[in-house]
Amino acid sequence: MDALTEKLKSRLIEILNLTDVRPEDIDENAQLVGGELGIDSIDVLEMVVMVEKEYGVVINNKDIGEKVFSTLAALADYIRANSPDSSSPDASS
Amino acid sequence: MSGKKVYIAGVGIISPLGAGLAATEQALRENSSAICPLSLFSLQHPPPLPAAQVSDLPASTLPRTHALAIAAALQAMQGCGQPPDAVILGTTTGGILTTEQLLTAEVHDPEKYCHHGLTTVAEAVARQVHCRGRALTVSTACSSGAVAISLALKMLQAGKAEWILAGGADSLCHLTYFGFHSLQLVDPEGSRPFDKNRQGMSLGEGAALLLLTTIRPKNPLAQLLGAGLSCDAYHPAAPHPEGRGAAKAMQAALDDAGLTVRDIGYISLHGTGTQDNDLAEAKAIRTLFPQPPPLSSIKGATGHGLAAAGAIEAVVATIAITRELLPANSGCSQPDPELQLSPLLHPVSQSLSAVLSNSFGFGGNNGCLIMARPDTLVAPRIRSQSAPLSILGSGCISGAGNTHESMARLLQAQAIDGMLALETISAKLPAGKVRRLKRFPRLALALAAAAFEDSGLEQGPESVFMGSGWGALSETYDFLKKLRETNEQFPSPTDFVGSVHNSAAGQVAIMYGATGPNITSSGGDYSFEQALLAADTLLDNNSAPAFVLGADEGHAQFSPLFDPSIQTSSPLSDGGGGFCLQRKELPGRCWVRVSFYRNSTATGTIGALIGELGAARTQLNDYGLIMAGIPAAADQEGRQQLAEFISKTALAVPVLHYRQFTGQFASASALAAVMAVQFLQRGEFPAGLVAAGSKGFSLSGKKILVLGLGTAITAMEFGCS
Repeated sequence: MDALTEKLKSRLIEILNLTDVRPEDIDENAQLVGGELGIDSIDVLEMVVMVEKEYGVVINNKDIGEKVFSTLAALADYIRANSPDSSSPDASS
Repeated sequence: MSGKKVYIAGVGIISPLGAGLAATEQALRENSSAICPLSLFSLQHPPPLPAAQVSDLPASTLPRTHALAIAAALQAMQGCGQPPDAVILGTTTGGILTTEQLLTAEVHDPEKYCHHGLTTVAEAVARQVHCRGRALTVSTACSSGAVAISLALKMLQAGKAEWILAGGADSLCHLTYFGFHSLQLVDPEGSRPFDKNRQGMSLGEGAALLLLTTIRPKNPLAQLLGAGLSCDAYHPAAPHPEGRGAAKAMQAALDDAGLTVRDIGYISLHGTGTQDNDLAEAKAIRTLFPQPPPLSSIKGATGHGLAAAGAIEAVVATIAITRELLPANSGCSQPDPELQLSPLLHPVSQSLSAVLSNSFGFGGNNGCLIMARPDTLVAPRIRSQSAPLSILGSGCISGAGNTHESMARLLQAQAIDGMLALETISAKLPAGKVRRLKRFPRLALALAAAAFEDSGLEQGPESVFMGSGWGALSETYDFLKKLRETNEQFPSPTDFVGSVHNSAAGQVAIMYGATGPNITSSGGDYSFEQALLAADTLLDNNSAPAFVLGADEGHAQFSPLFDPSIQTSSPLSDGGGGFCLQRKELPGRCWVRVSFYRNSTATGTIGALIGELGAARTQLNDYGLIMAGIPAAADQEGRQQLAEFISKTALAVPVLHYRQFTGQFASASALAAVMAVQFLQRGEFPAGLVAAGSKGFSLSGKKILVLGLGTAITAMEFGCS
């Protein structure tokens, strides 16, 4: 597993306050929204803010959003493909 | 048997389309839109999004929402020789635009924030129109204006008042501008409701007020025939995908008015322009109306005025009736075929007898109104409200803990002030469902859970009445802080959804499947009393059980800044109380009555209170205990009022100053209400709370009077039958 996916798992737990979930509980290939984690549209928008702030990747289109947030692996791929500064994908506050 | 007819005697409107009926009508006839790039405040990252702002607002020293409300109030009262008996105003922003400026300028003087509270808008209007009765505030997000008008209708029909000035007001502000943007709900090209290319709403602002009366004016504009309220109980921000709650509210309004869908000549749609709202609303319309009448949303012209929207659209309904003008669905050029709805693409001249006006808001909060040509349609049937509000269950949270822990301390004559740890409040709440919730909604949910458990009910109550002086302070603070810290770039959408005053009541509805009326009231230190008043007004003998809750959170930064009774030097207190109530004769149960509520403290108010409580001395002698709530900021006034009450009634009854034990917070009266019920159930109260060293006082079947004193005068009575 790559570092970005690992990082995203822990950020997800932090920003969505998934207190009873550990990073290893998250399957990066499982359905992200409406799946077992109980993630809904507001959580997706919270992730949109995080992805833009920490990776400089803007997601402001619903159709793209649905693809990007289908799984955690898809989100990682999208960030890698669109990050303006791909040399530091882990840059975060 | 027919209920009282309610007439619209006058209206006031100030919106981005202009001020006054004539300007509004002209703009609607011309199908002109006021949506253009926001210029009210500057942004760190232009270009500004499209919005609709009021351009001709008279200068005022008050915050913008207050000024808008007053401008509409003065219009509505024009030509009316007497002040209204009550003012009921819907608002979500209150003085927040001014608060935002003060926070940015790092102003720390609490006095400068004196107009922050939602209640200050209704109070300012009441002062302006010389109203000495109730000044009530409804805050149910984007349905606030319609819900305020609904509450006024029910109060008038029940004969509790003859003249009420009701409506809504909201101004543009950073919180809502960036909040809706963070939810990706703002159309970058301007709102196009029901259009196939729609991408969201445009934020608006404004105020509209209706002067409602049961005394038929010579030339009434229209009759307010019915209202329907419901809650989706589905999601904090998104509507139910099938429009379930919307359809329920529309049907409830039709039933209330005694009409069928065939009587409706025009539907004023909520139509915000967001994907989800327009889809859900279209489905709801198609469910109820086999052949919908002409319909349109004006939000592509006015923008979405939030709490003002429902009131603005009620005024537009009177224009439709009196001027035979059906406005166009501005902004829509290609109706979305998926919606199977045909909104009016141009204004139409057409006479009609009745209009249905829809308003839906966050928290799945729905309010629908029906206005009609005067005296053409049947009057609504009267509802029986003869039974008392019986208490099925209650529970409280104080600095000491839950009901049991709080009572244990009180029995030792010890204070229950302070703030309970968030983990303790959340202990019995499902972790996954409350993960996004901060202190205020968790307090509300824990109170609802305690009252529900105590009630022994198997099914959750149907309606929710919530009172809060300050609402979700943590969410509001965190949203604005992040907005500042990230140079207006990355505020949290979760915090925005949570910051809405009625978010907690919406969470309670979701948790208990409460799809009936869902009203959040705000009245500073008298917020719980307002919630009880709303429940008392809406619940009839046929109503299912309801939650009535009062809660406030202590917030380290905001509480001392906003609440004048809280000093930075003293420790914060918070909590509240919750009830399951039903209007039903239940022998052996305790009951509650909200006997008096006036925002005026003018001479004669205490005399009026005594008159309401019971003209006969025997009735006054039924009290075994008076619990007095005097906020620290109004200590002197409150003590004088209490002394006047005691001296005029010559009552020799122990007086418990409950804030000395609960600590200072706006919803302390909700906590006191639960204490009163606990005392009644035990048959005695710890006398050490009244006089040091005394033993327990027996209540021997007597009632408890809970007085609210200070800037308003209120009375709640508790007894056991």
